[in-house]
Amino acid sequence: MFTPTLQYQLTFEGLWPSAVAFLDSNRKLAAGNQKGEIYVWELPETPPEISAEEKEKSKERKAPNLNPVRRLEGHTNAISWLIFDVARKQLISSSFDHTIRLWNIEAAATGTAEAILDGDTRKEQFKRTKKEEILKALGVNVQTVGPPKTLEVHQNWIHALALSRSGNRLISGDAASQVIVWDLDKNEPLSKWKGYPWNWIVAADLAADGQTALVSEYRYKRDDFDIPSAALKLWHTVDGTEKLDLLKVQFPKLKPEGRTYGDGQLWRNFVGNGLIAAAFSPDGKQVAVGQGGETDTGKVHLLETETGKLSKTVSGHQYGVTAITYSKDGLHLFTAGRDTCVRIIQIADGKEVAVLGTPRGGQFKDWISAISLSPDESHLAAADIAGQVGVWKLK
Amino acid sequence: MFPPTSHLSRRALLKGLLLTAGGGAVMNWGSLTGLPALAEEVKRKRKHCILLWMNGGASQFETFDMKPGRETGGLFRPISTNVAGTQVCELMPKMSRMMDKIAVIRSMRTSEVDHPGGIYLMHTGYRPAANVRFPEFGAIVAKYQGEEGADLPSFIRVFTQAHAGSGFLGPKYQPFDIGPEGSLPPFSGSGMEAPLEARRHELRSFLEDRFAVEHKAYVSRMHREAYESARRLQNAREVFKIDREWETDRELYGDSEFGRRCLLARKLVEHGVSFIEVSQSSYDSHADNFAWHKGLVPPMEHAWAGLLTDLQRRGLLDDTLVVWTGEIGRTPQINNRAGRDHYVRSWTTALAGCGIRGGAVYGSSDEDGAEVKDNPVTEGDFFATIYHALGIDPKTENFAGVRPIPLAPFGSKVVGELFG
Repeated sequence: MFTPTLQYQLTFEGLWPSAVAFLDSNRKLAAGNQKGEIYVWELPETPPEISAEEKEKSKERKAPNLNPVRRLEGHTNAISWLIFDVARKQLISSSFDHTIRLWNIEAAATGTAEAILDGDTRKEQFKRTKKEEILKALGVNVQTVGPPKTLEVHQNWIHALALSRSGNRLISGDAASQVIVWDLDKNEPLSKWKGYPWNWIVAADLAADGQTALVSEYRYKRDDFDIPSAALKLWHTVDGTEKLDLLKVQFPKLKPEGRTYGDGQLWRNFVGNGLIAAAFSPDGKQVAVGQGGETDTGKVHLLETETGKLSKTVSGHQYGVTAITYSKDGLHLFTAGRDTCVRIIQIADGKEVAVLGTPRGGQFKDWISAISLSPDESHLAAADIAGQVGVWKLK
Repeated sequence: MFPPTSHLSRRALLKGLLLTAGGGAVMNWGSLTGLPALAEEVKRKRKHCILLWMNGGASQFETFDMKPGRETGGLFRPISTNVAGTQVCELMPKMSRMMDKIAVIRSMRTSEVDHPGGIYLMHTGYRPAANVRFPEFGAIVAKYQGEEGADLPSFIRVFTQAHAGSGFLGPKYQPFDIGPEGSLPPFSGSGMEAPLEARRHELRSFLEDRFAVEHKAYVSRMHREAYESARRLQNAREVFKIDREWETDRELYGDSEFGRRCLLARKLVEHGVSFIEVSQSSYDSHADNFAWHKGLVPPMEHAWAGLLTDLQRRGLLDDTLVVWTGEIGRTPQINNRAGRDHYVRSWTTALAGCGIRGGAVYGSSDEDGAEVKDNPVTEGDFFATIYHALGIDPKTENFAGVRPIPLAPFGSKVVGELFG
């Protein structure tokens, strides 16, 4: 039974948070933003009271804020994914700067810096009060860490990153349609392959044993009458050969090279504006994929990996799904979306058993860009483009 | 947004023509062909114009006016070009090697912030008005640079969202619209055997002659001219078939529908068409601005670079003006849908060919791209510059009824710095 309570609202304003990951426990959290900055927070077991100052800053504050303790420096463009590698005690980050970076979370600090994470609030207060000192007020002191190990093979934005549950393989995919499966013991590519040349790899995941990859391809149209085909496939990671074309199973008449308006209509209802969230169930028998982009209702499809058949379509986020993750026992699915909610779905019957957050009202108001479950699954963190990271206690 | 205007069938064309003529009694289009000045214009070496229309409004920040390091800058990074000191967005590697061929105006400040008004404005130079139907500049170019009696129409729009048409210039200069795939619609042909069609033509001519004797209205003459245009088009149907050229030039233009449209535009210029609009849709990126531009800009810039290369190697660029614009620019602020909204206080357009000084960057915006910092260019200035490049005096007046209307609005100035 889930009884979610919001424990923290960590302020992270500016070019908004786009990735989040718990580190080795539910007490340590990293989040990255569109600028390429990664901050690390240490969360006390018991959250403090909301300070009077915080209450004054925002009436919407429902949980206390904490300042980050570290900034991981190196990326130069948006952080697309943060994943914690338990075996090697490293944080893995991918970015639109084309690199993957491996951060030793126990590394010593290399310096200190002042960080301003409440820039939007300050600007708003200044607008109201015209007090210059608001803008000039000191920021937060953080330790800085960097540079880390860097994997530089991709030549375009890295949209997709996932680690196998066995922890030995990593998959990454970029906007030049390149997929790479990495051997994390050697930090070298194990296999590489390309999707359709016109597509971007928008989501990927690995089965628990790392032997099979789920890869979703999509690209934004070139024109209303020039709509290249999306793709959703299972691949053998050892040699990059195709295992099963999941989209073709749904639409046997699918012509990958077809790109007319009519060709697009065949798969559009299933794919929406790209299946940008994808995950394997822990037992590898099922995958979940979510419709992203801005769409009426972002659906989540559950497909059988053996046959490719659609088991059911569950949940739905108004305006699109942004992230999906399974619980370790495979009984629940956590989905996040552009309706500023995280939804918990019971897979057996497709019922929604809990919702974290509420739609903020009005059309198109912010979204949850990423979620992370703590290693013990007691907590969930959600990066919110409104400029905060929410931490929820789930039970 | 307005739906694409369409008058593809000859029947619809003729019907529209009659209605227009009937409703436009105060217009003066009927007397245009007799003007000595026009005859003089026609004698000169003809110039052509290709309008590359970015429907919805491409972002200046994701093309030619980047703001790296600023909060307004977004996710793309600048790259160097073949013009020292000028950078463009990384989405435009092909155009970055063609910057010495184009001139960029980074200081557009226009007056219509939404799509219908903006589309009208950036096709006519004028804001929509209740009492005057301003012509699109395609109609003006057709009038001053078009060839009378040519097999091909002088003003062709490929997949357009424009809706002003020939306005007070009358149906003679109405655009000929074709769809996104760039081929003639099936009903543009007669479908009859040639002898039968000829007999029908003779019969219709006979009846029209009889009608004209008793009715001196222009409408009968315009009807005949429109019908003759449609018949002449049958001689040029092959021009619209570009599959063979596409096989050769697919790589040059990039494998996209916009690329095909650009190749067709080049071919139409080669066959004497004065004005061709080629449109790419879907730039209205209120959400997911970066993904949208990552999808839209690469095929567009590839096609554009291919078009300029092709025009140049065929010796056509000196007499062909290539205009790149949409109806609006996009906001410096990135909204909470990762989008950029409409913005006209400071945005960007570009020109090439027809004496335009390649490599020029005119005007600039401030550090966040919020305001024009220097050398603002209005829509009037933009059109005055276009007409000047095409050898047409922007102060030339036409009449809407008795009211004289200059081609570019009163007070507009030609941006002389853009010419070599």
